[in-house]
Amino acid sequence: MADRQPPNVVEGATTGADVEDEMEPVAKSAEDRKAAAALSKLDTHGDDDAAAPARGVDQEAVLNAMNALGGGAKGADDKKKQEALKKVKVDAADVALLVDELELSKAKATEMLKAHDGDAVKALRAFVAPAF
Amino acid sequence: MPQTLSTREANLFRTVIRHYEDKQYKRGLKAAEQILKKNPKHGDTMSMKALIMNAQGKTEEAFALAKDALTIDMKSHICWHVYGILYRTNKNFDEAIKAYKFALKLEPESVQIQRDLAVLQVQMRDYQGYVQSRFAMLKARPQVRQNWTALAIAYHLDGNLSQAENILTTYEKSVTSAPSKTDYENSEAVLYKNSIIAEVGDIERALTHLESDAKNSLDRLAVMELRARYLAELGRKEEAAKAYRALVERNSERPEYYKRLVDVLDIPEGDEAVLKAVYDEYAAKNPRCDAAKRLPLDFLTGDNFRAAAKAYLNLMFDKGVPSTFANLKHLYSDQYKRDIMPILAEEYLEERKSNQVANGDSSKGAGAALYFLAQHYNYHMSRDLAKASSYVDKAVELDPKNTDFHMTRARIYKHQDDTQKASEAMDHARSLDTRDRYINSKAAKYQLRNNENEKALATMGLFTRAETVGGPLADLIDMQCIWFLTEDGEAWQRRGNVGMALKRLHTIFNIFDIWQEDQFDFHSFSLRKGQVRAYIDLIRWEDQLRDHPFYFRAALDAVKLYIEMYDKPQGANGVNGIDGKTTNGEDAAEKKKAAKKAKKEAQKAEREAAEKAAKQDPNKPSAQKTKDVEDTKKKDDDPTGLRLAGTTDPLADAMKFLGHMLQFSPKNIEGQIAGFEVFIRKKKYLQALRCLKAAMTLDKDHPTVQEQITKLQKALDPILDTLPPKVQEVISLEFTPAVAKA
Repeated sequence: MADRQPPNVVEGATTGADVEDEMEPVAKSAEDRKAAAALSKLDTHGDDDAAAPARGVDQEAVLNAMNALGGGAKGADDKKKQEALKKVKVDAADVALLVDELELSKAKATEMLKAHDGDAVKALRAFVAPAF
Repeated sequence: MPQTLSTREANLFRTVIRHYEDKQYKRGLKAAEQILKKNPKHGDTMSMKALIMNAQGKTEEAFALAKDALTIDMKSHICWHVYGILYRTNKNFDEAIKAYKFALKLEPESVQIQRDLAVLQVQMRDYQGYVQSRFAMLKARPQVRQNWTALAIAYHLDGNLSQAENILTTYEKSVTSAPSKTDYENSEAVLYKNSIIAEVGDIERALTHLESDAKNSLDRLAVMELRARYLAELGRKEEAAKAYRALVERNSERPEYYKRLVDVLDIPEGDEAVLKAVYDEYAAKNPRCDAAKRLPLDFLTGDNFRAAAKAYLNLMFDKGVPSTFANLKHLYSDQYKRDIMPILAEEYLEERKSNQVANGDSSKGAGAALYFLAQHYNYHMSRDLAKASSYVDKAVELDPKNTDFHMTRARIYKHQDDTQKASEAMDHARSLDTRDRYINSKAAKYQLRNNENEKALATMGLFTRAETVGGPLADLIDMQCIWFLTEDGEAWQRRGNVGMALKRLHTIFNIFDIWQEDQFDFHSFSLRKGQVRAYIDLIRWEDQLRDHPFYFRAALDAVKLYIEMYDKPQGANGVNGIDGKTTNGEDAAEKKKAAKKAKKEAQKAEREAAEKAAKQDPNKPSAQKTKDVEDTKKKDDDPTGLRLAGTTDPLADAMKFLGHMLQFSPKNIEGQIAGFEVFIRKKKYLQALRCLKAAMTLDKDHPTVQEQITKLQKALDPILDTLPPKVQEVISLEFTPAVAKA
């Protein structure tokens, strides 16, 4: 890596916090807790609590807003499209053909076929045509 | 079933974790062993042990142990979490996601697992998964703004702009007290929202939002630029002009501002005088401003151009600006401008002959003009190398110690295809100023062009960090000095050393991988810092990373090399590190000798490493130990690329480079041509056809493309009947008519 990372970036891999946080429910000795608190201050991964509402946030309004959002659902249009794709029937032999000829993963090949109504020739023609 | 430990062991287990966090791996292991002595089948402890072993670099053993732990305790989220971490450190992100998801199923409340999973999902561009994770995190802690912004980002990346905006608005509405003016996070979030509105295409609303909500944003410049842009896009030209004038006043060197200002001024087509007046106004206001003087040269024609160019050149020569030519060569696509430049420089020389102003500084006055002329005749669009030589000689005569003059002389040699002389001349230029890194790098590059790899590395070594383990090369790799690696690889290739060439090219490939991985830290870091707009830019840049010309060049080199290797398989002795261009007996013998030598050296290095490892005190303090681990990780077990060159399936190796190349630079015909050559050798005719069709669209008269059409026809004719019927059909539908047209 060319540049030093900002000091408070924790390298993505195996940081101590990975397991540390997970262990929190288990009661620790007072000393441990102190150490852990100090640690979580250093380790900016453990951010959320420290950064907790610095400004007045209307808790109730937030909760209401949350409920109004609904479970992270996709837009209705997308859903319809996906369902339509799901219904397309795909021949296993065609999938095998695409996997072999185009060196794709099975999932990719199936997706490609579905996008072309399960028609292998159509899918292959689209593949061959320049994409620009 | 959850396995419970006695109090004593439970305490011990926590020490294991603490030691792991403190990187005291040996102690951690010891404690883990203690628990396992009493409870040999405790899954969590086994997992922790595996985690520690992984940190010590024993990856394979760690995986085996973690797997054992999982079979013993399938229901432990710790075991699954550790498994995920192992996959993550070994860059197998897809598997890591699976493991994390399992861990989360077992322990849905864990903030830690959820956060790790979310980061992995966005890294892998699983945006729908990311939306879900972010939604869960927001639900757990809706009072934190970051979580709202993060969910908006997730929707944004997933392409659901209206929902992204909705999330941001929802949060804003729920805030009771007005944010302070110096709240950076707020300022950025507001501008981020503005960018989303603009991305939807509702410019009118974006402008209103900008003028009301983002008025006091801390990023003043961004607000000014956005406002000017919106006004221009909405056709409110007068206001836009005013906005752009304010920007030019603020920074009179930015060409974009002038261009956009002129665009909204409604100047009649071809009215150069009015156009120039716009620039003149700012040139007069800012006497030291370059852009206002240089830019008019782009659009002026005829005598107007001549007058302006003369004034500009005179000024630059008087000042002695070394980059003058580089700054003006863009004009050379215009024949008239290209022809008039040397005349103006000559005029300058004539005029200055009588009154010498040089006062000792050769880079000013006549020297600058001669330098310009030498570069002019050296440039590919106006090349006359004899003239270039004579001008550079005159310049050197004027001042034999000027680095720039000698550098140009070296370039002239290069264009005369005399790499030997060019390398010497450039090295001479370097010797005139040994503290200039630029000329040092240039000298190294010219040495590489002359296939002097060792010398070039020594030259580079003058500027690398002296204390780096592994010498200058290791430092250059650390510093990701791609140009050097490319040139070095190409030089090795010319020398016939396939191993070294491949080694360098693979190093470049890996550097791009590192850039890809570097974003990992930013998924959480940018969010924490509130720099959301920059983060979005970063993500989009990363998605296009490998369309970089550096990548393309290295990848094309590698693919071509692998094709060559496939066509000329090496002798049965299995050593093909050194590949002569011609394969007569003498060469073969030499090749064998060289290969033997390389093998011996490799063995020697191995022995030395083993000895070094054996000498190490097994009871060293842990700090030293971790350093050792790092060292072993860094050690290269194939320094001369023998293993790379010994590949049994060069085409499969070529695919590693080719895939990205075709995906990210599809419009480069060289790439498509190389792709065709690989696929036709692999007998993947449809993929070959795809490359061919792309190449035909790009340039159907390209001689190689024509050759390849015949090649494919010849390859297909005898075997067409044996292909699957659907493939035949596609070929007859797509290939035959395309050929008929060509």
